[in-house]
Amino acid sequence: MNKELEHQFVTELENNQNIVHKVCTLYTNNRDAHKDLFQEITIQLWKAYPKFRGDSKFSTWMYRVALNTAITLYRKSKRTIQTQDYESVIFKIKADEYDATEEEQLKLMYKAVKQLGDIDKALVFLYLEDKNYREISETLGISEVNARVKMNRIKTKLRTILNP
Amino acid sequence: MMDELELLKKDWQNKEEHLPKLSYNDIYQMLWKKSSSIVKWILIISILEFTIPHLLYLLPGVSKSFETYEKLGVKDISTIIWIGGYLVALYFIYQFYRRYKEISTLDNSKKLMEKIIRTRRTVKHYVIYSLSMLFLTCLIIMVGIYLSDNLTDAFPAANDGERQISPEKFKSVLLWSIGVFSILMVAFMGGIYFLLYGLLLKKLNRNYKELKRLEV
Repeated sequence: MNKELEHQFVTELENNQNIVHKVCTLYTNNRDAHKDLFQEITIQLWKAYPKFRGDSKFSTWMYRVALNTAITLYRKSKRTIQTQDYESVIFKIKADEYDATEEEQLKLMYKAVKQLGDIDKALVFLYLEDKNYREISETLGISEVNARVKMNRIKTKLRTILNP
Repeated sequence: MMDELELLKKDWQNKEEHLPKLSYNDIYQMLWKKSSSIVKWILIISILEFTIPHLLYLLPGVSKSFETYEKLGVKDISTIIWIGGYLVALYFIYQFYRRYKEISTLDNSKKLMEKIIRTRRTVKHYVIYSLSMLFLTCLIIMVGIYLSDNLTDAFPAANDGERQISPEKFKSVLLWSIGVFSILMVAFMGGIYFLLYGLLLKKLNRNYKELKRLEV
């Protein structure tokens, strides 16, 4: 593989790494696993990179590969033992940013999202990333109507988790 | 709830500064690490499945058994099975390779899962085929033994020493042990295979079902 392609790829991934970190945060429970998944996604992105022809934005393409890796391809490696109490940096809310009730509410929301299944998480993730239903349905391979139906079910599910 | 999700969305999008930051070099190093994806595992397991049964023929004991086949009068039929077996294996390898190559992370999630399942199905068919061939071979040997008049020629070991056993008894013991052995062997190998894939594809199957369920 030529040097220029490597450089181009690493630069683009460096600039867009937040997308991958967010996926890792949702799908893993500790730092080792986060790193492990990040690495697997990077490998998969790199493998697919020659096929990426720029007909869509680099970031759009990243969402797809990253989610596919997290949902389908990734196997937890042995050294990543799940810990329940791990709270990733993203869930830490600065005290001065919000009032107490809102902060508490957000914490509960994040916790509830983490409890969802892999597919539900993917939907919520794309929703939080401000993707429309067309993009969500295209990424997951379901119809737009079904994406809406599913999202409504997830909202109900989240509500039950929050108010048992 | 609507408002809560909107609140979460707002918060989520403000979180970027709290995310870990990897340097150019960190990412560059990752390019050369080995993947441990399930697709890679399927490839490794499949290569083993395709090669192990064929490596068996290289064992001296197994090639010697061809002499036994000859004496039992089943040599021709086992040679045909053997050559046919290679042709079928080649066909499966070709099919597997074609489907494996089609797997792409650029597809949508559902399509990706379908392609992996289809690739795996090729291996599944190959394993079912191999196990039935193994069983069939044992069956043919059993028929050969059953029809054979002088077993002691085919199995000289049975005739040595003082412990002479009657040919009838030897025949029935042999038939029973081959019968039991073949069933155990097929059950054992089949068991390992389904356990292996069951574990490997547990997550994929669960998520695929979840996506499929939406269509009803």
